[in-house]
Amino acid sequence: MALTGIEIFKLLPKTNCKKCGFPTCLAFAMKVAQGQVDIEQCPEISEEIKAKLKEASTPPIRGFFFGSSSTKIKIGEELVLFRHEKKFFNPTVLAFEIKDTDSNIDLLIDEVLNSSIERVGQTLKIDAIFLKNQSGKVDIFLQALDKILDKAPDLPLIFGTLKPDVAVAAVEKTKDIRPILSEANSENINEMAEIAKKYNIPLVVRDKGIEKVMALLETARSKGIQDLIIDTKPETAKEILINNTLIRRAALKKGMKVLGYPIITFANRDDDFYETIIASLAVLKYSSIVVLSSIPKWKNLVLFTLRQNIYSDPQVPMQVKQGIYKVGEPDGNSPLMITTNFALTYFLVKGEIENSKIPTWLAIMDCDGLSVLTAWAAGKFSASKIAEFIKESGIEERLNHRELIIPGYVAMLKAAIEDKLQGWKVIVGTKEASGIPAFLKNYMKSKALV
Amino acid sequence: MLIIGERLSVISKKVREAILKKDKAPIQDIAIEQWKAGAHMIEANIGPAEDDGERLMEWMVTTIQEVVPLPVSLDTTNPRAMEAGLKVHNNQWGKPLINSTSLDPERFIMFELAAKYNVPIIALTVGKGGLPRDAEERVEIALQLMEKAAEFGVSLEDIYLDPLVLQISTSQEQAKEVLRAIKLFQDLNDPPMKTIVGLSNISNGCPKHLRPIINKYFLALLMHEGLTAAIANPSEIIEVVKTINVIKGKTLYAHSYLEI
Amino acid sequence: MNFSIPKETYAGIIPEIVFGKGKKAYFGGQSALPFHFFEGHFPHKPLIAFEIQDQIPEDYPEELAKTYSSVWDDTLRWARFCESLGAQAIALRLTSTHPDSRDSKPEEAADKVKKLLSEIDLPLIILGSNHTEKDADVLPIVADASRGYNCIIGKAQEGNYKTVVASAMAGGHFLIAMSDLDVNLAKQLNILITQMGFPREKIIIDPMCSALGYGFEYTYSVMERIRIAGILQGDSMLCLPMVADVGFYVWKTKETQASESDIPEWGSLHERALMWEAVTACSFLLSGADLLIMRHPEAVKIVNRFMNDLFS
Repeated sequence: MALTGIEIFKLLPKTNCKKCGFPTCLAFAMKVAQGQVDIEQCPEISEEIKAKLKEASTPPIRGFFFGSSSTKIKIGEELVLFRHEKKFFNPTVLAFEIKDTDSNIDLLIDEVLNSSIERVGQTLKIDAIFLKNQSGKVDIFLQALDKILDKAPDLPLIFGTLKPDVAVAAVEKTKDIRPILSEANSENINEMAEIAKKYNIPLVVRDKGIEKVMALLETARSKGIQDLIIDTKPETAKEILINNTLIRRAALKKGMKVLGYPIITFANRDDDFYETIIASLAVLKYSSIVVLSSIPKWKNLVLFTLRQNIYSDPQVPMQVKQGIYKVGEPDGNSPLMITTNFALTYFLVKGEIENSKIPTWLAIMDCDGLSVLTAWAAGKFSASKIAEFIKESGIEERLNHRELIIPGYVAMLKAAIEDKLQGWKVIVGTKEASGIPAFLKNYMKSKALV
Repeated sequence: MLIIGERLSVISKKVREAILKKDKAPIQDIAIEQWKAGAHMIEANIGPAEDDGERLMEWMVTTIQEVVPLPVSLDTTNPRAMEAGLKVHNNQWGKPLINSTSLDPERFIMFELAAKYNVPIIALTVGKGGLPRDAEERVEIALQLMEKAAEFGVSLEDIYLDPLVLQISTSQEQAKEVLRAIKLFQDLNDPPMKTIVGLSNISNGCPKHLRPIINKYFLALLMHEGLTAAIANPSEIIEVVKTINVIKGKTLYAHSYLEI
Repeated sequence: MNFSIPKETYAGIIPEIVFGKGKKAYFGGQSALPFHFFEGHFPHKPLIAFEIQDQIPEDYPEELAKTYSSVWDDTLRWARFCESLGAQAIALRLTSTHPDSRDSKPEEAADKVKKLLSEIDLPLIILGSNHTEKDADVLPIVADASRGYNCIIGKAQEGNYKTVVASAMAGGHFLIAMSDLDVNLAKQLNILITQMGFPREKIIIDPMCSALGYGFEYTYSVMERIRIAGILQGDSMLCLPMVADVGFYVWKTKETQASESDIPEWGSLHERALMWEAVTACSFLLSGADLLIMRHPEAVKIVNRFMNDLFS
């Protein structure tokens, strides 16, 4: 992980000597952080500081890619225990387990390939296949692998085998897609590490509990393997939660490099419902890869949504897509309200309209996810933009009336909108969402009287 | 420290009504009050002013400068209104200030205006979409803004970096990031970059009786970090400014230092 | 290798809640972040209360109707049915009092509550219709009618807390205090409530729930922040148990209602709908909920299995 300019700045002499060609040490450090300037341009920099910079630039949890150049997925490099502290960075990989002994491998691959679902502007899908060497045989494993490569030549793969010969044969065929090798245990660690090293691929290290897995991780590290993945073989929800929490805490808070790796969780359980719960726990609590034994559509929707929610950036306001939304089943006489696309605004407004039980058209305008007053101040929720949006939305054709309800906070826009939207009347609504039910009821009553 | 009187803002109902009616008296009263209370410059915030922004800004600037011998800080997102204000501004008492540009490409035109009229400009350290999450991001954006300024031919001495003060009631953790950013901004150039804040935003959404308390303590900390300018209510902060200047040795102490 | 567990130092303990008169129910009392058994004491599992309503529900989708339509015309029968499903507590939502519903009188609601309490031995949570003004009329009468039964009543909100708090205090009940997804507002409301003389240890925080996909991450993070502020930083106004009113939010979503023929890529409705509730509930257990209010018995079963697994 690259250091920020300010972290580099802290290690510089802060003399502003200008010998590097920049006015200040901070300006220089910022350029170094962006990779535009070499740190060597600072004449004051000592070997000791260089070593410090290197140490500081190693992320507490290692991050790396697997998959082909076009399908590669990054895992790891997480910086916090709680998403509000910054954010969770690299979303959990959802992998579907296929056994080399499965009779319907082609159908199972299709399930993965057809798993994508659109949600809030993102395409979500099962990311990888975990191919399990159930047979224990090389040829059967390779046959299954061929089927996958045939249908999905660059889908990210994880090979589940205990046998070095199977591993070598499979990895030989997939050099271009950087597969993950699972797993090295206390029996086969030397051979598996050898393979991971030779082919430069990530290796899953597996043993019961944190202490045992640490010993294996040390071994793998001593052999020069850098891209490691941890599996502590948790059996219960309790073990998943505690082991994952302690591993992340040790890596982030205690700087324990030996535990600074992504975690894989095998969610496979006796029933689909409970497997979904275990997978959810793993997504929420720090697993970078979750292996599933089945991927029915309902389950995917649940897990995709959870992953999307929890990996969203708490600083960037969640945005709703611009458009006219139906709350209830509105018709040509139903009210039309408008607000910005800040997700929280949308959820609150929509919730209150639902509470009112009055079917309503809700126009959501793209304002970079800002709330009403901020968007107005930034010129994004302005009279001309509102007018343009309403005209282009096509809502006019669906309404028997020409009345637009605007948020109370932008009451001052009433006249300007009416100016730009010929034939429309603008009604000023409430400032807070909580006032919407009462407002809508009065509004409908007054319309009934007319 | 430069005090820019904040009170002539379209956010205020009284000001909004006066603007609507083109009623000079309330505007001028507020301008005079701020001047008497110690403002070095008067902010004229007319909002987005999509319609007829030019005439509105001209009216505001001339209305203010009719009664106070101070320069005006021009606050609008409408570039035509901005230019109209710059044209009509009386530079006899100092240059006007452009409020503001940012890393949103829509706002780069403000840099052009700053170069064309050779006036200082506030550069808000926000990118397109999303608020800065910490001091680091603010510094990164600041550096990019400084490069943009160079592209447009605006000298670094004419830039006031604004870290964007957020509400303590909803974004508590941002207050200390703003303090850090003020310190770091200065390190971006030698001589140090100028810095500015819209002070009262810290207490936006807080109960009325708390607002001056929060504003004043926050300003004291900001001044300690080296703040150059604040858009604030002069009568509220003048005591803080004078006292901190004495504590930091910028003005000489006398028993009556508050009275001068 | 030797691994020394990196432990946190805690500054608070969540008050223990024991409510009900005959049969009692428990939650809270823990001294660490959720399920961090290695560094704290957890005397109770979180509690799940089954939601029932005082009238035939107006907006229960098909998946819920299948389970409850044979009992929901009679509040008492509905409660007994939940008891037969293994409910340890009942949450009665007085939806008929809502002005847009039947606008039923507080006295009518009070009669229902009295009847329920005299016939059913389970601990009771009494919820208004979530109409700030009407709740201020209904809850005092209801709280008085249930005096001595040691219930939980709610919800007190910024707009009505004075009346609701006073009535909970007079009736000797626990209180749910709800604010809008904001850690600062939650703290402020609790300060106001305790300033009225209401005991801090009897407050249950409702940080405002949400459903998976519909603001879920806001509730999740606000809960985490409340729990961290309370138990790690020792902020007494936030060092309190939390409730997640899961069913109410989940069963409004499209995901619990749209059929597979409407949206084929969403898959089977039955599994999807009940897992929408189960996953939302389990997630909020992980972010700090001590009390869950739920609707679907299958979802409850799954969440119970998860809790047993966590407590194994």
